[in-house]
Amino acid sequence: MSEFTAPEVAKENIYWATIKNSRGLLITILLLAILPFIIALVDGQPFSELLSNDPGQSKFYQALMIEIFILAVYAISYDLIFGITGMISFGHAMFFGVGAYVTGIMFKSFGWSLLPTIGLVILAGIVNALIFGIVLPRVKGITWALVTLGIAEVFFIVIQSRELVDFAGAEIGLQGVTPPEYLNPVTERLRFYYLAMIFMILVYIFYKRFVNSPTGRVCIANRENENRAIMLGYNTFWYKLTALIISSVTAGLAGALHAIFHPIIRPDIAGLSFTIAALLMVLIGGVGTLSGALIGAATFRLLSFGLDRYLGGSSQIIIGIVYVGIVLYLPFGIVGTWNQRSVRRKEGREQLLRMFTGSKEKKQDENEE
Amino acid sequence: MDNLLEVRDIHTFISQFHILEGVSVRVPRGKIVTLLGRNGAGKTTTLKSILGLTPPSQGQVIFDGQDILGQRSFNIAALGIGYVPEHRAIFRDLSVGENLKIAERKKGDLDRKADIIFDLFPDLKRLLHLGGDHLSGGQQQMLAIARALVPDNKLLLIDEPTEGLAPVLIEQMMEAIRQLSSETTVLLVEQNFIVATHLAEDYVIIEEGQSVKEGKIADLINDQETIHRYLEAA
Repeated sequence: MSEFTAPEVAKENIYWATIKNSRGLLITILLLAILPFIIALVDGQPFSELLSNDPGQSKFYQALMIEIFILAVYAISYDLIFGITGMISFGHAMFFGVGAYVTGIMFKSFGWSLLPTIGLVILAGIVNALIFGIVLPRVKGITWALVTLGIAEVFFIVIQSRELVDFAGAEIGLQGVTPPEYLNPVTERLRFYYLAMIFMILVYIFYKRFVNSPTGRVCIANRENENRAIMLGYNTFWYKLTALIISSVTAGLAGALHAIFHPIIRPDIAGLSFTIAALLMVLIGGVGTLSGALIGAATFRLLSFGLDRYLGGSSQIIIGIVYVGIVLYLPFGIVGTWNQRSVRRKEGREQLLRMFTGSKEKKQDENEE
Repeated sequence: MDNLLEVRDIHTFISQFHILEGVSVRVPRGKIVTLLGRNGAGKTTTLKSILGLTPPSQGQVIFDGQDILGQRSFNIAALGIGYVPEHRAIFRDLSVGENLKIAERKKGDLDRKADIIFDLFPDLKRLLHLGGDHLSGGQQQMLAIARALVPDNKLLLIDEPTEGLAPVLIEQMMEAIRQLSSETTVLLVEQNFIVATHLAEDYVIIEEGQSVKEGKIADLINDQETIHRYLEAA
C-alpha cells in the first residue's frame, strides 16, 4: 500500500501495528472460541461432556450462537450492497433462500455430498447476482429496489408452489434434509459451532479487505455520488455488479449453513420479512461499518430470544419499541455512533496534547524560519 | 487555430425542458477560456453536456479531433477530460489520500504527479490521512482540483472554483489555476467577474441557453455595453 492510502508504519513495527489495529477482532475471536467452555464452566458441566456434545446449557447456547453467526454473515452481505455500495435491495432474502433451498434439495432429492453442493450454491449465487444486475444499467434507487422485490417474490412463490412440493415442500417447508454425519448439528454441535464461527470471521476479514481495496473504494465513491465516480472515468456498473456477486455468494453460503443446521427450511427465509430483518440488523449495527452488521445480527437475535422467552407473544411490541428507540437515539447504529464518538474523543485528546506541547512546536517553527 | 475542444450548436433537454438552445464554445489548446453569464444561463449544463452527464440531443462536441457526442460519460472522462464540479465535489467518506488515489487512471499516476500537486496545494500533504468530511471548504475545493490533476488530463472543466471562499483563498486558488494552465487547457465557469478576467484569455457569454458573444477578455473589460447587457444583475 502506498503512502496515499495508509499511514506510514516503520517496517519493524508493521506486525505489531497489524496486531494493534485488529485488537478488537482478535479479542472477539478469542472470546467466541472459549465461550462454549465458559458456559459449561458456569453450568457445572465437565469439559469431557461438552466435548462429546452431551446436552446442557452450553450445547443450547451454542445453537443460539450458530444462528447468530449465520445471521451475521447474511447481514454483512446486505451491508456490502446497501451500506458500502449504496444500492437498496428488497430482494436480499432470495440470495439466502436460494443457498438454503439448493443445499436442501441437493442433499435430500439428489443425494449430493457437501463439496459439490457448495460449488452449486456458489454458482447459483453468481447467477442470482447477474439476474439482479441485468437491470442495473437501466434503473437506479427505489426503482431497482422494486425490481429486486419483484424477482424475489417470484422465487418466494415458486418454492411454495404445489408443483414443486416433492422438492421444496411447498408452504410447510423442506423437511428431512440429512446433513453429512461429520456436520450433524445434533451430534457434532461443537464442531458446527467452530465451523460457523470461522466462516463468519473469514467472511468479515474478506469483506474488510475488499472494502479497503481500490475496487471497494470505488464502491464507496459510488454510494456517495455515482456521477462523481463516473466523471473520474469509472464504469460504475462493473463495481456494483462485483459487490452484488460477492454479496449474493456469501448470503447463499450462509443459507447453505442454515439448511444444514435447521431440521426444516421454511419458505419465510426467502420472503420480504427476512430482507427487512437484514435491513434492521444493518441499521441497528451501523450502516456501512461491516462490524456493525455482526453486532446488529447479535442484538437482533438475542433481543428476540430474550424477549420471547420472558414475554412470549407480546414480545413483538417491545421489540418494535426498542427498534424505534435505537433509530431515535443511535441514528448511526451502535458501531456508527461509537465510531463517530471515537473521532471526537481522538480530536479532544489531540487538542489536550497541543495545549501542553503547542508552545514548543511554535518555537521550533520560528527557529526554522 | 488548433482547438482542443469545439462545441458546435448543442441543444440539451433536461426532462421536457429545453435548457441549451444552441451553445457553441471553442477552447484553443493551452489556454484558459471562461464561460460567463447570469445565474441559470446554462453554464453548468454546458459543462455537463460536454461530459455526457446531460447528453445533448443535437449538435457536435469535438474533443481532440474526435466527435464525443453520444459516448458514455466514463469513456469521455477517460479520453482525458477532468471535471471539477461546483460545490466542492469530493468524496467525504474517503481520506484526502484516498480521494487522490481513486482518481488514478493508470497505476502510478499519483506518484508521478505528487510533486506538482503538493507544490500547488501544500496543505493537502499535511492532511493526507484526514477524512474528507473534516476538511474546511477551501481545503475541499483544493482537493477537488488536485484530484483532477492526478491523471494526465488534456482538458479541465472547472465549475465555480472560488464560490464561497475567503478572499485570501481565492487568491491562492487563482494562482493554482494559473499554474496548472501551463500544463493543461482549462474551460472555466466563474461567477466572480474579476477572477474570470484575471485568469482567462478568451470568454464566451451564455444567455438563456444560447452562446451570444465570444472574444478576448482584454476587449471585454472595456466593453461596458456588453457587460451591462449580459453580466450585470438584471
